[in-house]
Amino acid sequence: MKKHMMPAMKEGGVNVTPLIDIVMCLIIFFMLVAKIGVATGADSKIEPPSTILGTKIEDMGNTLTLNVTDPNPRDESGNFLSRHLKQPEVRALIDGSTQPREIKIEQNFGSVTDQPLLRVLKAAVEGDPKKNVQPNPNFKVIILAEKDLQYSMLEQVLVTCAQAKVKNVNFQTRQVKAEAGAPG
Amino acid sequence: MRIRGAKQVHYDSGPNMTPLVDVVMVILIFLMLAGSFGGVEHYLTSNIPIQAKGGVGGEPPPPGFIPDEQLLVSVDPDPQYGFRVVAGNIRVAGDAKSLEAAFVQKRQAYEATGTPASKIQVVLSPSGAIKYENLTAVYEAALKANFEKVGFAKSH
Repeated sequence: MKKHMMPAMKEGGVNVTPLIDIVMCLIIFFMLVAKIGVATGADSKIEPPSTILGTKIEDMGNTLTLNVTDPNPRDESGNFLSRHLKQPEVRALIDGSTQPREIKIEQNFGSVTDQPLLRVLKAAVEGDPKKNVQPNPNFKVIILAEKDLQYSMLEQVLVTCAQAKVKNVNFQTRQVKAEAGAPG
Repeated sequence: MRIRGAKQVHYDSGPNMTPLVDVVMVILIFLMLAGSFGGVEHYLTSNIPIQAKGGVGGEPPPPGFIPDEQLLVSVDPDPQYGFRVVAGNIRVAGDAKSLEAAFVQKRQAYEATGTPASKIQVVLSPSGAIKYENLTAVYEAALKANFEKVGFAKSH
């Protein structure tokens, strides 16, 4: 009787199984680590101060990042040429914008004074029926300020946050590792 | 001339993986381009609003409210050391580690008199000319000394 043997298995091309394994691992890694669709409006050009301590904010959807910079002119090495402007430049993602827009702390129109930043923060905390924004007492502000900003400028932002009754203000910093043996 | 093997049949060893690899690669490239990683997302949190005489945005305290003990920390710029801190008997210029040690001693002194760290407000009272970087160093020193409430006052 003639034996029916199975034909020898021949692969049609390159074995892609290890490739798929690695690619799947990479996909799972990126899905877990990467943050997609959370645009905070943080300006990557701003260099914040460095700290060892610090926390992470899980609920980034409940925050507004204020990019605070000194608008006074500087020379090529970054030194200020003058300090005649007393109000900081504040930029943030507002009204559904995709790029941070400038929000003035105070604007004078003749005898009328407008406070756009206070309006924005109050609307976020107390809600805005016109824009269908619900009150949010747990609203957080993140301040991303450049490290050589003077306190007289930062103070104006902090005062506005206090006037808007923002209870939680966070200062974004760059994390540095503690020296070996150092506390913290 | 007969070519050997020309009549041999090729069998697939499994399902066709090509579409899967295509889709997976597209997802991978999308995630690599669209994702962002938490490089600088690191925050110092302040739960008390900026304070000033007359109160900035403050509400009247409820009846029976016992106010926290306040430790007022004056922070001024120093041309040589960057910053100079005065808080009661604390006098430190530029050295964040010495400042942290002094804050720890201060907290222990408060605790020895029965005031826990949770009932102490460290209020930084900076000069308007102090740099944010130096102020952050003082702020961090207070947090490292396990003070739970650290905030700012208006500039002096």
